[in-house]
Amino acid sequence: MAESYILLVEDNPDDAFLASRIIGKVCSEKILLARDGEEATELLQRMELDGSYKQIRLVLLDLKLPKISGLDILQTIRNSDGLRTLSVVVLTSSDNDMDQERCRELGVADYIFKPMTVERLQRVLVSRKDA
Amino acid sequence: MTHDPADRSGMGELPRDLSGLSLLYVEDETDARQMVSKMLAMNYPKLTIYSAENGAAGLELYRAHRPDVVMTDINMPVMDGIRMSREIKAVDPEARIIAVTAHSDTSYLLSAIEIGIHHYVLKPLNYEELFAVTDKVLEQIVLKRLVGEQNRRLAESERQLSGAQRIAHLGSWQRNIATGAMSWSDELYRICGLDPGSIQATYRDFLERFHPDDRDSIGRALNDAFAAGRTPEHHFCRIVRPDGVLRIVRVEAETLPDAAGLPETVIGTCHDVTELKQAEEQVRSLTEDLERRVIQRTSLLQASISELESFSYFVSHDLRAPVARLEGFCRALLEDCAVCSNTGCRQYAERAERVVRQIKQIMDAFNSLTHYARCALVITDVDLSAVVRRIAAGFMQSEPARVVEFVIADHLQVKGDASLLQTALEHLIGNAWKFTSKRERGVIEFGQTDRGGTAAYFVRDNGAGFNMKYVDKLFKPFQTIHTPGEYTWSGTAIGLATVHSIILRHGGRIWAEGEVDKGATFYFTLEENPESGTYLKKR
Repeated sequence: MAESYILLVEDNPDDAFLASRIIGKVCSEKILLARDGEEATELLQRMELDGSYKQIRLVLLDLKLPKISGLDILQTIRNSDGLRTLSVVVLTSSDNDMDQERCRELGVADYIFKPMTVERLQRVLVSRKDA
Repeated sequence: MTHDPADRSGMGELPRDLSGLSLLYVEDETDARQMVSKMLAMNYPKLTIYSAENGAAGLELYRAHRPDVVMTDINMPVMDGIRMSREIKAVDPEARIIAVTAHSDTSYLLSAIEIGIHHYVLKPLNYEELFAVTDKVLEQIVLKRLVGEQNRRLAESERQLSGAQRIAHLGSWQRNIATGAMSWSDELYRICGLDPGSIQATYRDFLERFHPDDRDSIGRALNDAFAAGRTPEHHFCRIVRPDGVLRIVRVEAETLPDAAGLPETVIGTCHDVTELKQAEEQVRSLTEDLERRVIQRTSLLQASISELESFSYFVSHDLRAPVARLEGFCRALLEDCAVCSNTGCRQYAERAERVVRQIKQIMDAFNSLTHYARCALVITDVDLSAVVRRIAAGFMQSEPARVVEFVIADHLQVKGDASLLQTALEHLIGNAWKFTSKRERGVIEFGQTDRGGTAAYFVRDNGAGFNMKYVDKLFKPFQTIHTPGEYTWSGTAIGLATVHSIILRHGGRIWAEGEVDKGATFYFTLEENPESGTYLKKR
């Protein structure tokens, strides 16, 4: 069976480091890191083309990103024939009502407030398995 | 000669009121004098009667008493009636003299007429005739007195009217519709800047007193009234005085009908309201100035609130990310230190994590505090008594073992934001609940008192109280005046700061009184009609 991935879209290196550390403790998947919205969009489009996107188990998406925002990436994912079924969990450090509303509309699986903890990520993964 | 004085049949009506009138009777024959005096006194009980035995004595009495009527014999020793009458007429040409005489010759009559004796009674005396003449003379005197009194009253009332017009700056005028004749009151002249009566009052002149811009409209309104007998609406217009000074007047007119009901006269008033209008203008300009200032202040207020808004946005969003990172690293340190043998490391990591939690609490407290300053008020009728009763019930349920008596005044109704006021009272009652926890029997009171005409609501307890020298610290956020551990501490100490913020939003004031170990009382006032909404401009 082919390798599966967790796509982490996070611009801040500290946050990326902390998130990767937790993911590494909880999951066996390989972590793909995109450091801004552009990089994430390009990566997703490429994976859609070669079909490898099917190996993405979860997208952990920070909303506040340089160049292309998390919400725009989410929109791109939902508009794409292949990517639309991807499971997306939003990473956030603030509870902005407007963003949450928009995320609900675009169908996110869950929210995780930073800093992510082992327990929180486990809960999200378990609930994704159930879904 | 007999006469019953009570029998006045066939005689004229008695003159109405004779009180204060007097009559001098002069006659040298003692019997006749006494008899006639007696008869006069009986017939005219209210008349004062003087009598004298000759002209000289009569003149003396006249000078002393100035009687209204003199009745005199002609032929008398010492001074005769003709001479006495002449002397009396010299004193008062208006004196009324009745001659009682046997003379009927022409020379006597001529001199009597020349002196001004207009009445006489012939001897031998007939009382009926005597009384008839006396009645006539007295009636004339009474009538004259009446007319004089009426004239005096009329003059007084005119004087009053004119004075009142002068005081009120209210001139009046009158115009006969058929003849066009017009009259102005003295005050109307003065309002027009003229000496009373100094010019002939004509309608044309009246209209010319008005400012050229106002003349047409006032002329039209008055002409309508003259033509149709209608009462025009009042008009404010300007009068130009000869020296160029403008006066603002309010002109009103009313048409009066003649006996047949046709319009005959137009009467009108002209009220000088210049000072009133100037005051109105001043009030208007002050109000405008005030409104301008309110707008200015409001925009300053909005600016500072929007600064606060962006600052609190910074705290709740931008600051949250690095704090979350710090928390993440603390946790990573703690987790990885589980395998590290250095206990110091672990302790530092634990303490650092606690500090981070504290920072997050303070940030939350800060955001909650600024929320009360920014949020939109929804003003409704709020029954504070009911709110306090609910809160009290909640506390009693939470710790049923405690003995606390709540004394809550009934029907304290206010206008305010129900949810915010509840939050404020929760904090105040919560504090009272907390600080009475070491009392065997706590008493918490909610009521209303009067502070300088304003209703002040209060929450009083018999708890730990506080030292008044710390009173200024009470309402500041993140400050506590009790030693940590003494009472359960929320961690951020923003309760009273929150109450303060909520009361301020309601246009009120809050203050506290306390004494260590005796208890504390928190007072607050609320604006009678606080405004709904928020100071923030919609973005």
